[in-house]
Amino acid sequence: MTHSLRKYMLAAASALALAVATPALAATELTVQRFFGACDAEFGTNTDVSKAVGECGIITSLINKFNADNPDVHVIVTTVEWPGYDQLTAQFAAGDPPDIVTVHHSVLGDYQSKGLLMPLDDLLKTVGVSPSDFTDASLSGVTKDGKIHGLPIDNWTMLFHVNLDLFKKAGLVNADGTPKLPASVDELMAQAKQFKEKTGKPYFVQNLANEVALYTRNLYTYLFQQDSDFFADPKQVKMNTAEAKKVLEMYKAIYDNDDTTKDLDYAASINAFLAGEGGVHLNGTWVIGDYTASSETSGTALNAGGYAVYPYPQLFSGKKAQYADGHSWAVSQKDRTPEEEAAIGKFLKFFNDNDYEWSRTGHLPAVKAVLESDAFKKLPHRDTIAPIATLGTPLPSTVQRQFAIQDIIGQEMNAAITGQKEIDAALADMESRINELLANI
Amino acid sequence: MSSTSSGIVGRSTGDRIILILVIVLALIMMAPIAWVIALSLKDNKELMTDMNSVFHAPYTINNYINILATSSVFRWILNSLIVSGGLTVMTLILSSLAGYGFARLNFPFRNALFIIVLLGLAVPEQAVLIARHQLFSWLKFHNTYHGLILPGLAAPFGVFLMTQYFRAIPKELDEAALLDNASRFKIFWKVLLPLTIPAQATLGIFTFLSSWNDYFWPLISGTKKEMYTLTIGIASTQTNFAQSEGLGFLMSQAVFAGAPILILYLFFQKYIVTAVSGAAVR
Amino acid sequence: MAEATLSGSASAAKAATRQAVQNINAPLWRNAVFVAPYLFLFVTLLVVPLFWSIWLSLHKADAFGIGRFVGVDNYFRLFRDKIFIQSVGNTFYFVFLTVPALALIGLMLALALNRKTRSAAALRAVYFSSSVLSVTIVTLIWRIVFIGNFGLPATIYGWFGATAPAFLSDPKLTMIGIAIATVWWCIGLPMMLFLSALQQVPQEIYEAAALDNASRWRTLWHITLPSIRRTFVLVIIIEIVLQFQLFGQARLMTQGGPNNVSKPIVLYIYEAAFTKWDLGLGAAASEILFILIMLAAMAQYFISRRRGEEG
Repeated sequence: MTHSLRKYMLAAASALALAVATPALAATELTVQRFFGACDAEFGTNTDVSKAVGECGIITSLINKFNADNPDVHVIVTTVEWPGYDQLTAQFAAGDPPDIVTVHHSVLGDYQSKGLLMPLDDLLKTVGVSPSDFTDASLSGVTKDGKIHGLPIDNWTMLFHVNLDLFKKAGLVNADGTPKLPASVDELMAQAKQFKEKTGKPYFVQNLANEVALYTRNLYTYLFQQDSDFFADPKQVKMNTAEAKKVLEMYKAIYDNDDTTKDLDYAASINAFLAGEGGVHLNGTWVIGDYTASSETSGTALNAGGYAVYPYPQLFSGKKAQYADGHSWAVSQKDRTPEEEAAIGKFLKFFNDNDYEWSRTGHLPAVKAVLESDAFKKLPHRDTIAPIATLGTPLPSTVQRQFAIQDIIGQEMNAAITGQKEIDAALADMESRINELLANI
Repeated sequence: MSSTSSGIVGRSTGDRIILILVIVLALIMMAPIAWVIALSLKDNKELMTDMNSVFHAPYTINNYINILATSSVFRWILNSLIVSGGLTVMTLILSSLAGYGFARLNFPFRNALFIIVLLGLAVPEQAVLIARHQLFSWLKFHNTYHGLILPGLAAPFGVFLMTQYFRAIPKELDEAALLDNASRFKIFWKVLLPLTIPAQATLGIFTFLSSWNDYFWPLISGTKKEMYTLTIGIASTQTNFAQSEGLGFLMSQAVFAGAPILILYLFFQKYIVTAVSGAAVR
Repeated sequence: MAEATLSGSASAAKAATRQAVQNINAPLWRNAVFVAPYLFLFVTLLVVPLFWSIWLSLHKADAFGIGRFVGVDNYFRLFRDKIFIQSVGNTFYFVFLTVPALALIGLMLALALNRKTRSAAALRAVYFSSSVLSVTIVTLIWRIVFIGNFGLPATIYGWFGATAPAFLSDPKLTMIGIAIATVWWCIGLPMMLFLSALQQVPQEIYEAAALDNASRWRTLWHITLPSIRRTFVLVIIIEIVLQFQLFGQARLMTQGGPNNVSKPIVLYIYEAAFTKWDLGLGAAASEILFILIMLAAMAQYFISRRRGEEG
């Protein structure tokens, strides 16, 4: 044991020595830290981005291509487990953050408010990227205190993924073959009822177990649609409102009427939808590729009648809106040489220029021109979900700790919908817990 | 028990019933593990649509090939071996010395110190994690091997365990040696330590195991890719939706990361149920 | 106890020995040399951080700086927080579910498998094998088992014409579900601790018992169990300490839900420190957890000690 250990120690020491001995290249080094996983086997050396598929494949290939195109810059990538914020916080605390890092729009504010992120307006201007290039949803997502604190690369949101075969059986299809989606809460209830009577299956496939995010995003969406200004004051939420109550009552009715799957977690809900266990799966932009592939494979539930995907229907009479978040590249606040700053600028510009490639993941592009391009529109189902770029609405940019707020809303909504708590009590607790959290930032 | 020396499977019906129960329970224990291994040999896309496909061909070793193709995976294995191995060896040394000291030697404030160490057992990792992180930032210990090893050495578990085992050894043994004028260290080394081998093996395996699977400290201390342990490294290779899109890959990672510990266990288990149990105590 | 049994047989000789080594057992500083290396690490890496963390708990702090001094405000916030109180109750419930189960099953397995046969060795390896998995995989397996609509579990439930109980979403079942997964995962350690203790029981005692024609149950009850009493205490204390720190299983299987019924204290601490960035609150909660573990483990230790002295 001791002997073999010493051998490993020696091996490690020599590996280190080798690393140190390698002559330093003249290239400027940038450390980039990201989630989205690793896929070295398939795309480790791929620089032809058009051949890559999936979040991991595309981002790996993009960075490979950047390194190949820019011999004067060397990007060192560290992958982290999603979402990577525990690690990032620890790195900032230890004074050793990466140069560039993936951060959700909804989380930018937490780091920005501590002065840890570099405002990018000037840097983007020098490389010729203008804020007006971005879609509204993306620009508002990354703008904090009036400045851009991350290069937006996409917007993502929850969608209605539809099993057309079951919709046909339920008689919920228009003459042109598109699914009939509800335009009000009552209509939703009636269609769900009809769906269950005709197909024997629930209208919705939802992951209600071990989950907070789905509940929260649903609530935000339908609060926006009622013009509820629940975060008028970013330090003080108003949740104990008639609007919120309407949303919770709707989801509780869906639950009580068995119009949804119950007790499923995220992975199980995907299995259930792919197995044809329900009509509408509430899931994100990121599954479009997988579901499209499934619908093109004969013998699958989605192949039987087809697959379609839509933004959440407008159920209320207020603003046409739906909650959206997005990914961005944030840059840490550090003392840097002009060369290093220029290298960072190049990297951001490169991602901005290649936003189309990234939009093949299913996420909505952050760049307006890409959204309007034919290439994008030709991607499967993008015609029906493109409106997200205007519908997509984030929380007000000054709201901090959005992950923590999401936990609270998810917990209370789950309790109310599954009947463990009265709706009023859940909303009151939700409001007081969030306000306690925000008061202590 | 008398059957300890009887060799082959017990004679009485009582023994047989126990054996059958233990085997049935073992099958229940094993089922999920067999399932994990089977899942690791399946194509991810196939599992996403139908988990029952695990019961039939085609099987593939692609998931394992994908692990080995990850550029840093051998570095992560090396890191884990250095950290877990170093921690285990040093824990065994420190705990044996301290366990013997507390169990057999008298020194001022011994009982008070032992109680304090015992209280240390009650300190949850979360209570010291942030302070340690700040301390190590100040010492510039992050992203080093000693930064990953040191926190585990402070855990009182090993000292508590070894003290209890040293106390269980009849005092006559070392008292007799003392009369022969053997030094304290010699008694510890020659007389008592060999009797604690089963406990050493148990402590060693579990120290190695908990360090190998440790997640939080390596996550926030070894943040550079070349300092990842295997546990952190393979977690970082998962896509955001690995549990639905990459189930087979995830399972192959579990098998891959767990196998070294199982091998270590098989190697050490002969020291746990040792052949010298009776003979050693004299 | 082993020594008690032995001392009966040779009490006269032992008394003489005790006399002779009396002076050697006097408290000497140089004897502390054996414990000094550990104590140094213990103090620098555990005691100092603990006090630092107590200091932190008296502040409004985040990862990037210690803010203003707020006294015991964070502790008041905890006691006013229903969810924290609930998480304390959840943690005790979980300890109550798992610790006796782990100790008793571990002991039974150790007694049954304390043989030098190949089959026993293989079975020991089986019972150990679940321990090598990381918490991510353990929880993933059990989530699939407990959700049970798909795959192997659905098939098994189908044989009995039953549907899976909703272990992850029924508030009455979630903690039990987490406890089952935990016992499955953690059974290796208590089993091996008992096994290694059984190796220390002097064979002579069994031989003497065999000569007396003592029955197996009598041998078990009067010789084996008393000899490993110390280990039993050790296992209970260690499991109390470990299971009080339930975290990964709850986080990954239920996120503490539904309605916080499966949120343990450590998950509360984690959320306070890493999701809310409220380090002072997290530190305060971790001090409370420290005190609770200490009380539970110490109670166990002193109860067993007193019993030992009386017996």
